[in-house]
Amino acid sequence: MSSITQQPRGAVPHPDVHSLDEVNRDVLKMLGRPGLGWWLLFGACIAGIGVFFGSWGIQMVKGIGVSGLTSPVGWGVYITSFVFWVGIAHSGTLISAILFLFRAPWRQSIYRAAEAMTVFAVMTAGLFPLIHVGRVWHAYWLIPYPNSRFLWPNFRSPLVWDVFAVTTYFTVSAVFFYLGTIPDLAAARDAATGLRKKLYKVISLGWRGTDREWHHFGKAYIFLAALAAPLVLSVHSVVSWDFAVSIVPGWHATIFAPYFVAGAIFSGVAMVITLTVPLRKIFGLEAYLTTKHYDAMAKLCLLTSMIVFYAYLSEFFMAWYSGEEVERAAFWARVFGHYWWATWIMLICNGVIPVMLWFKRVRYSIPALFVISIFINIGMWFERYVIIVTSLHHEYEPFAWGVYRPSLVEMGLGLGSFAWFGFWFLLFTRLLPPVAIAELKEVLHTPMRNSPPSYVGGGGEE
Amino acid sequence: MSDVPTQATASPYGIKRREFLKVVGVSGAGVGVAGCSTENVERLMPYVVPPEEITPGVATWYTSVCGECEAGCGIWVRTREGRVVKVEGNPDHPVSGGHLCSRGHSSIQGLYNPDRFSGPMVRREGELKPISWDEAEQMLADQLSLEGSHFLFTGFGGPSLMGVFEEFTKNIGGEVIRFDTLAEAPLREASRIAFGADVVPWYDIEKARFLISFGADFLESWLSPVRDARGFARMSSVDNQGVKGRFVFVGSRLSLTGQNADDWLPIRPGSETLVALAMANVISDSGTNAGPYRDIIKAHTPENVAEATGISADIIRELALRFSEAETSLALGPGVAGQHRNATAANLAVTILNFVTGNVGKTVYYDKPQLNAPVFGYQEVERLMQLISEDSLGTLMIHNSNPVYSLPASSGFKEALERVPFKVSFASAPDETTALADLILPDRHFLESWGDSVVRPDLLALQQPAMQPVPYFDSKQTGDVLLSVSKRMGHDLGSATFYDRLRTLWQATANSLGVTDYDAFWNESLKSGVVNTGSESSQVISRLRKPDRAMTFDPPVFGGAGDLSLMVYPSSRFGDGALNSNRPWLLELPDPVSKITWHSWVEIHPNRAKAMGLENGDLVIISTDHGSLEAPVWTYPGIREDVVAIPMGGGHDNAGRFSNGNGVNPLDLLPAEAEVLSGGLVHFNTKVTVTPTDQRKPLSSIAGSDSQSNRPITPAVALNTLLGGVVEEEGHHGDLKELQGVGGFVPVETEGRPEDFPLEGSQHGEYGDPEEPRWAMTIDLDKCTGCSACVTACQSENNVPWVGEDQVTMGRDMGWVRLERYYETVDASHAGPLDVRFLPMICQHCGNAPCEPVCPVFATYHTPDGINTQVYNRCVGTRYCANNCPYKVRVFNWYTYTGKEPVHEGLGHAPEPLNWAFNPDVTVRENGVMEKCSFCVQRIRGVQDRAAVEGSKVQDGDIVPACQQSCPAEAIIFGNIRDPISRVAQSAQNERAYRVLDEMINTQPAVSYLKKVTFHDVESGEH
Repeated sequence: MSSITQQPRGAVPHPDVHSLDEVNRDVLKMLGRPGLGWWLLFGACIAGIGVFFGSWGIQMVKGIGVSGLTSPVGWGVYITSFVFWVGIAHSGTLISAILFLFRAPWRQSIYRAAEAMTVFAVMTAGLFPLIHVGRVWHAYWLIPYPNSRFLWPNFRSPLVWDVFAVTTYFTVSAVFFYLGTIPDLAAARDAATGLRKKLYKVISLGWRGTDREWHHFGKAYIFLAALAAPLVLSVHSVVSWDFAVSIVPGWHATIFAPYFVAGAIFSGVAMVITLTVPLRKIFGLEAYLTTKHYDAMAKLCLLTSMIVFYAYLSEFFMAWYSGEEVERAAFWARVFGHYWWATWIMLICNGVIPVMLWFKRVRYSIPALFVISIFINIGMWFERYVIIVTSLHHEYEPFAWGVYRPSLVEMGLGLGSFAWFGFWFLLFTRLLPPVAIAELKEVLHTPMRNSPPSYVGGGGEE
Repeated sequence: MSDVPTQATASPYGIKRREFLKVVGVSGAGVGVAGCSTENVERLMPYVVPPEEITPGVATWYTSVCGECEAGCGIWVRTREGRVVKVEGNPDHPVSGGHLCSRGHSSIQGLYNPDRFSGPMVRREGELKPISWDEAEQMLADQLSLEGSHFLFTGFGGPSLMGVFEEFTKNIGGEVIRFDTLAEAPLREASRIAFGADVVPWYDIEKARFLISFGADFLESWLSPVRDARGFARMSSVDNQGVKGRFVFVGSRLSLTGQNADDWLPIRPGSETLVALAMANVISDSGTNAGPYRDIIKAHTPENVAEATGISADIIRELALRFSEAETSLALGPGVAGQHRNATAANLAVTILNFVTGNVGKTVYYDKPQLNAPVFGYQEVERLMQLISEDSLGTLMIHNSNPVYSLPASSGFKEALERVPFKVSFASAPDETTALADLILPDRHFLESWGDSVVRPDLLALQQPAMQPVPYFDSKQTGDVLLSVSKRMGHDLGSATFYDRLRTLWQATANSLGVTDYDAFWNESLKSGVVNTGSESSQVISRLRKPDRAMTFDPPVFGGAGDLSLMVYPSSRFGDGALNSNRPWLLELPDPVSKITWHSWVEIHPNRAKAMGLENGDLVIISTDHGSLEAPVWTYPGIREDVVAIPMGGGHDNAGRFSNGNGVNPLDLLPAEAEVLSGGLVHFNTKVTVTPTDQRKPLSSIAGSDSQSNRPITPAVALNTLLGGVVEEEGHHGDLKELQGVGGFVPVETEGRPEDFPLEGSQHGEYGDPEEPRWAMTIDLDKCTGCSACVTACQSENNVPWVGEDQVTMGRDMGWVRLERYYETVDASHAGPLDVRFLPMICQHCGNAPCEPVCPVFATYHTPDGINTQVYNRCVGTRYCANNCPYKVRVFNWYTYTGKEPVHEGLGHAPEPLNWAFNPDVTVRENGVMEKCSFCVQRIRGVQDRAAVEGSKVQDGDIVPACQQSCPAEAIIFGNIRDPISRVAQSAQNERAYRVLDEMINTQPAVSYLKKVTFHDVESGEH
């Protein structure tokens, strides 16, 4: 692995981790018997999934009318949730692939959780386009395949681009995620007993930690990282084009792709903070997830927050500067119209609250970061809600203006999606090493020759 | 009826435009087969002996007469495989002129009303129990043989039926009581007083160049809305010479008719008499030619009435001068909503005004009266109730009327009816009156029955059944029932069936016309649907008569406390709503004025509402001395601040599943009072108190914003500008020009007229053929009256579902035509110009359609002939097309609204046999599918296929979409815009033509609108 990893620059990232052995112990300990808290959370998630699929079932049986969607607001909570979860999915690949390529020293501790988050978030996001269509039983018509209808999908439609973007992203990030876990799965296999051992045996693909394996692993990893990196930009750009290629005032803007990518990173990093803070606390990972890591993530949040806020302001400016009545009215309605509250939640959560991150004391305060990250999550959900709903409710035809109010079923699906996500994430914390053992070891001090032997990664079985 | 020989033949009579349509005369037996239910597919039976006249897949058309209101429009009824599926106007009939209103279209929902009586019923122990026709008729015969007088209470009906009624009641020693809920009794009385003509005159609105309505809602509910709308549109729209008739509305509230006016005089309630007399004063130089009314006119100078009317003398004087100086002019009386305690005087004042201006014989005819006009007032009902209170009435038979509903509760009619020993109803469907009936003998719907109509002495028409009776409902025509009962009682009225009687009676007509071959005459009458013996009016009326009764022209006194006068007006959708309210098409049709569906509302001026702390949707309690009710507020700038208004037609409790529980019946607030002179029911006579509650009811309205918000949606052009030859470019924004000056954002120049599609450079594949037509439409907004007939016509033609009140409230109405209504200038505080804009918004079939590229599955795409199609079977329901449609004309099936059972809490379903009304040419859509206007593609393809089979070419005018067909204002033209001599191509060349939003977003619509023309200057920046 050293062939692909430089010695970290700057300060030692994990001053409190003393030996490589400790890493294995601390991380694999997390895969042990879950406590009551985990079970309670897991139970809550199962219940939430019940709500989620129950709501969806009602919708499938009765019709999409059980949502609050209406004319002129044809998209609401579902597409909001879709964009939100795709956005969440972003930071995983950003942290694991782009920061990997840029050799950022602080990524090792968090990337596994971030990647898992990515995969599960895409799994969540991918459900929403299915949920939101009127005839889900025909949704496969968006997939290009030779068919009896003699009809390809319309490649001019951004919704078809979406199908490609999201499935590609899911495939690549899932493969990337799995590949990265193989050495750690082997370590887990070595430590595990019984049924788990059998499971790990299979999914670690017989990893033994030989030079040759490491060599191939390293090559594959960097190629996949290189492949995944552009996807970080492309997926959310494509998602943004769902809106930007339309002529809806408030959607039709060239700024959308970078704006959405920045927003996605912003929300994704915030979500990593939201998820890892409790993880760190519960499993006692303070030595691995240090305040330095959070400082770095907070800085990334701050940067993307500023980009996003700049995008908001530039949208308002362009609405005024363009002189287009319709555009102006749409943005006026956004801030002072029926959905003013959503817009102000968005502006305050994404633009005002993150200003606190300029202060080092805030960035180094885990509770403060946790609270801020939750605000950012809320703010970013509402950003999408604002873009989608407020733009649609106040378009060209004044006589067709109208409002939309989410229904209980929609709320069930919107909130239930967090349970669906949480379910997978909780399983992940118990089944896969949530902190990357092998990579972490790379940034620790190399063991001295006279210290007790301690083998990195998953050692050989013998 | 089976003894009548079959004479059905296809006929091209007068319908060259649609030669393929078969309009046939029905003869007795072969009316058609009852539709076969597709419920049990495995038991489908083939035609062993195919019925004559029925070719599966080909429509058969029958002529008839619409029985919805007194106007008597001639109709064509389209049937498919023996079922009625559409009603359209008969172009040969001078009343409908080939057009129809929403109520007319909805009549097939009356035919297929799922709540119709399944057969004759008798009340036993308080419950209605089925009974056989034989028993039922015998029971009626027995009852009529008992002691006491036996009366027949009826609304309107054809002359032959009325003849049967008269003869029948005479034989049993009874009487016929006629009662029209929206009676123009004061108008008839005024005509009698003025000229001795005890009739409702015939008005020729089309001829007038200057029209004043003193409150008559002639576009909605007055005498003959379809004919009058056509006349009005022709009169008030600008013609090629730049001549445009002017219309002034005088009244306290703007009805739909009022909204179409060029000027509005918001007079104090009940003061139209004074305005009319003051105008007569100006015109006739203090009443010189007003004969006996000279002194009255002399006293009513504009100055004298200014205070009482709220209109300044100058304005009245100017109006009077314009009125008299116009080439032709016409003043119309107050109408039902304005019928106050001095209604006859008001009508007389208007009559005098017409006389002194010289309009009698020019635009008003007393020698060709409207014979079928509703004129039977409340007086007769009072007489009936007097008899009941004396216990001298034995049996009351009620036909085509729902008096328990359509009389004010304060009349005590319901209590009186309860005292009648035996009550018989001929209603075909339950209503408030049948709830009290002892015996129900369900009549046939007019589309299943024989009848006739005499609109004018020289204008006759036959009503023939267009299908066999709907098999779910064992009904019998009232005429036949009475003939049979009469026979049982030993009075043979001479004919075995009503059909025989009708034929016999028409024999007399034929004889008077000198017809030799009666059978041929009969068949010809059935085929053409009208017998027009028309003659020019020759009457000269040279003087007004002296009133033979004591009368006053003073403004009426309003009873009750409070400072708000209550106006109860006939709904433009339902009229009085007594018999036609259980129709989802009508219930869900947005009211042309308020745009509210399903429920009732209270109209209050916004200033007044604000002062009372009320907003749209706040529930208020309206109370008078006679009753109170609760309804949501709708703020309306078109009503005076001292008036509130409630439409009729709501508040049913026994009228069927769709109607029950919707809204309120405002008649319950009124005292039951007959106008002294005419005996008509007084509608406008009381003040009310409005008490806010803390409850709300969200309005089930389709209206977003009432203002165009400075957008080029419905621009207008001032007549002066138009005549000056320059159509001033409105819609360029000052700010935009400024920005462009400094190099700011420049919008894309619009290229491509409708006929240019596909644009150069965008041609690919099969889209390049220059021989292809491009279908296009023009809609003349100077003609459109906003009546919304197109909405229902489209709904009927295209199987557009209704969704129910809750869904409309959410914004899920599914009309393919959204009749937009924008206020430009509406000021109730003083007299002045009025400007309300209407725009029927349909799919624009854009050449550069924003919906097409975003659909992932090609469910929407452009056909080579320029139609933006929607392929339902391909649609997966992403709704992106709707989001990206700037016109918001795409509607989504949020549920399957077309099933037999409701799938949601609302009423969006089509229970058997309401689903029989579906057009078999058009797919019925399921949940999750987008839909929108298709330019009636089934009609286009039908005509094209026909032409291909016949080897002919499609001619301009062969293809008529449902909206164009229906439009009483003749505002819509459809055709191939690539054909330079087509009407649509020429219309699109009009200098008033524009395309909505096109200059803004370059959508290149195929629908061009012609700007409304105003008399007042349209301010720059105001669209």
